[in-house]
Amino acid sequence: MNPFDIRPDAVMQEVMGYSQKLSHGLKNLMDVGEISTGVSPKTAVYHEDKLTLFRFDQPKDAIPSKVPLLIVYALVNRPYMTDIQENRSTVKALMDAGQDVYLIDWGYPDRADRFLTLDDYINGYLDRCVDVIRERHRVDKINILGICQGGTFSLCYSAMHPDKVKNLVTMVTPVDFQTPDNMLSHWVQRVDADLVVDTMGNVPGEMLNWTFLNLKPYQLMGQKYLGLLDTLDDPEQLKNFLRMEKWIFDSPDQAGEAFRQFIKDFYQQNKLLKGGLEIGDEEVKLKNITMPVLNIFAEQDHLVPPDASRAMRGKLGTKDYTELSFPGGHIGIYVSGKAQKTVPPAIGKWLDERS
Amino acid sequence: MSDPANAWMENWLDSQQNYWKAWAEMAQGGMKAPEPARMPWSDGINQWWQSVSHMAPPSGRDVFDKLMDVSRGYFSMAEKFVNAAGKESGLDTMNGWLENVQKTWGDWMQGGNMFRPDAKHKDMMAFWDLPLDTWQRMAANIMPMPGDFTQAFHPEGTTQTMDQMRGQVNRFLSIPAVGYSREQQEQYQILAQRMMDYSAAVNAFQTGFGKLAMETTQEFQQSAREMAEKGQGMNTLREIYDKWVEMSEAAYARFVMTEEYQTLYGRLVNNLLAVKQQMARMVDQNLEALHMPTHAEISTLQCRQQEIRRENLRLKKDMKAMQQQMEALRQQLLKLEQQPAPAKAPVAAKAPAVAKAPAAAKPAAKPAAKPAAKPAAKPAAAKPAASRAKSGAAKSK
Repeated sequence: MNPFDIRPDAVMQEVMGYSQKLSHGLKNLMDVGEISTGVSPKTAVYHEDKLTLFRFDQPKDAIPSKVPLLIVYALVNRPYMTDIQENRSTVKALMDAGQDVYLIDWGYPDRADRFLTLDDYINGYLDRCVDVIRERHRVDKINILGICQGGTFSLCYSAMHPDKVKNLVTMVTPVDFQTPDNMLSHWVQRVDADLVVDTMGNVPGEMLNWTFLNLKPYQLMGQKYLGLLDTLDDPEQLKNFLRMEKWIFDSPDQAGEAFRQFIKDFYQQNKLLKGGLEIGDEEVKLKNITMPVLNIFAEQDHLVPPDASRAMRGKLGTKDYTELSFPGGHIGIYVSGKAQKTVPPAIGKWLDERS
Repeated sequence: MSDPANAWMENWLDSQQNYWKAWAEMAQGGMKAPEPARMPWSDGINQWWQSVSHMAPPSGRDVFDKLMDVSRGYFSMAEKFVNAAGKESGLDTMNGWLENVQKTWGDWMQGGNMFRPDAKHKDMMAFWDLPLDTWQRMAANIMPMPGDFTQAFHPEGTTQTMDQMRGQVNRFLSIPAVGYSREQQEQYQILAQRMMDYSAAVNAFQTGFGKLAMETTQEFQQSAREMAEKGQGMNTLREIYDKWVEMSEAAYARFVMTEEYQTLYGRLVNNLLAVKQQMARMVDQNLEALHMPTHAEISTLQCRQQEIRRENLRLKKDMKAMQQQMEALRQQLLKLEQQPAPAKAPVAAKAPAVAKAPAAAKPAAKPAAKPAAKPAAKPAAAKPAASRAKSGAAKSK
């Protein structure tokens, strides 16, 4: 049998259909208007340098948990992913689950921020945000939800300041940076991080974008756009696509010194897991994490493989450790319909039982 | 009035459809139909986009540009199948294309960067060049020269001559500089050497993808044979495209986890940055000659400034702790003063440590109003709680 039974008239029809979708799609594109992201109302409660700490506005009659929840997002990409649109908002779903949600927006570092270190980010900015929230709510400890690199920061923070963290939730957070299936880690092993930072100062967001797109280049730089054709005639779906596209390419530059340390200590030497990681003057010991920990990872995560997160098990000092596995990818865990229904409610329930 | 974005496309599609209909009727009617004309779909789609792209809003322009890139490849595939109609089977067309891909990459790898693919060959290489192409676009953004500047090196001759020439250039560049402008000459020699190293790194990277392309085409052919044996088949271009992408991603995922790719990747990144570093050094020398601040000097200042800020923040934290301690002492003193005088003097020197417990500090204080670092860091933000920020309002890019 001929495996490619392609009739010319069928090709003709396919091309016609394709072309019509293109031209009609362009019309929809012209009407699409402004692409909004970060949809839930929020109030800035603290500023420092480029950083803004937001508190999401509670609905009128809501009685949220007394222990506030701080979301610590990665320096890479922008935190509005957690609140990207009305019906795909982890933040909104967390509030629906009774949480009083704060979020750190790290901003866009420029050359003046080139010498910010991980110590500045974790023991500086993050610690001061935690203090602001503790003071506002008059509590000794708050809950923290760290996402991706922000989860790694949250682990480091909780190890160094266990007296300020009541419960720690990590989402798609790498702990073992050298699992055999970690593409990013494999690639950067021979990259001269000193040369990168000494030459570039801050590391351009475009450079990181290129790296992330190359995790699946033929899908992410080609096939994805062909898939767009099927949704071009639906203005709402087109908007969703553009919203996601905006987020993917909205990559802040990385403060040079922090990047240097993150690549060398975490990716190249795996010190968080192996030991010997120092942030500022202090050694980060995972055994110091004694508060309850909920570790959530995505089974099809191509950025942070599940094993990179699972490595947390048995390495912490806590006796209350829970894992939650989500059948999806690194992004789907915030934005998919299934995630909206399962992940934030599970976080809310877990926190309520411990707050 | 018709929509201008659609009008061009509709007319073009009508003409294509009419032509095809006429051709099919002639063929079906038993007449000897002429050989179908080449269907210039990829050119047509290009022309359409050129005529309407100005209408696309900035927010969607990039997306549509990428969609057009993919469309060109897709239409080019469609052309192959239609142009071969009546002459060969779909399997032959597919095999012909796969063999051409293999030949193109084979020629390229044999000729190194002296192989100059024509437009047709470029199309065949484009899919596999995607990672390098986007790398070069990225490089163009961070360098004061085009990202694909290594493509401009077109030395004539064979690979062997090329290797010999590289060796000679290397020897030439290692000649010690002499005379009054010795240092400048050295800097240019270093830059030239680094550019050659980068060119070699780009070449090696592309060669790696060439091997990957050839492997994938062989795997695809094998997969087609297996499908035929099982009586399975594909009827649409989209199915073929999706299968091709799926197999390419699988092959790519294997390749990029090899030691070979790790080395290629490291070389590509490190060599580009080595070029940039040398350029920056030379720019700094010129700035210094003009008595202007250099990049290195500004970096030194930024580093010192950051140190001062850290020190400042530490002092503020210490001061706040001391203030809290003093307040606790004052409260304790007040209590003691209100108590009747004891027979013996109490030991009042030891105050409870309260430095690291903001929540336990005086509840009547209004902690939300003055977080530690806020006033000094950004006086304008003295009333942050009052400023209501809708989504993205705080974006400071």
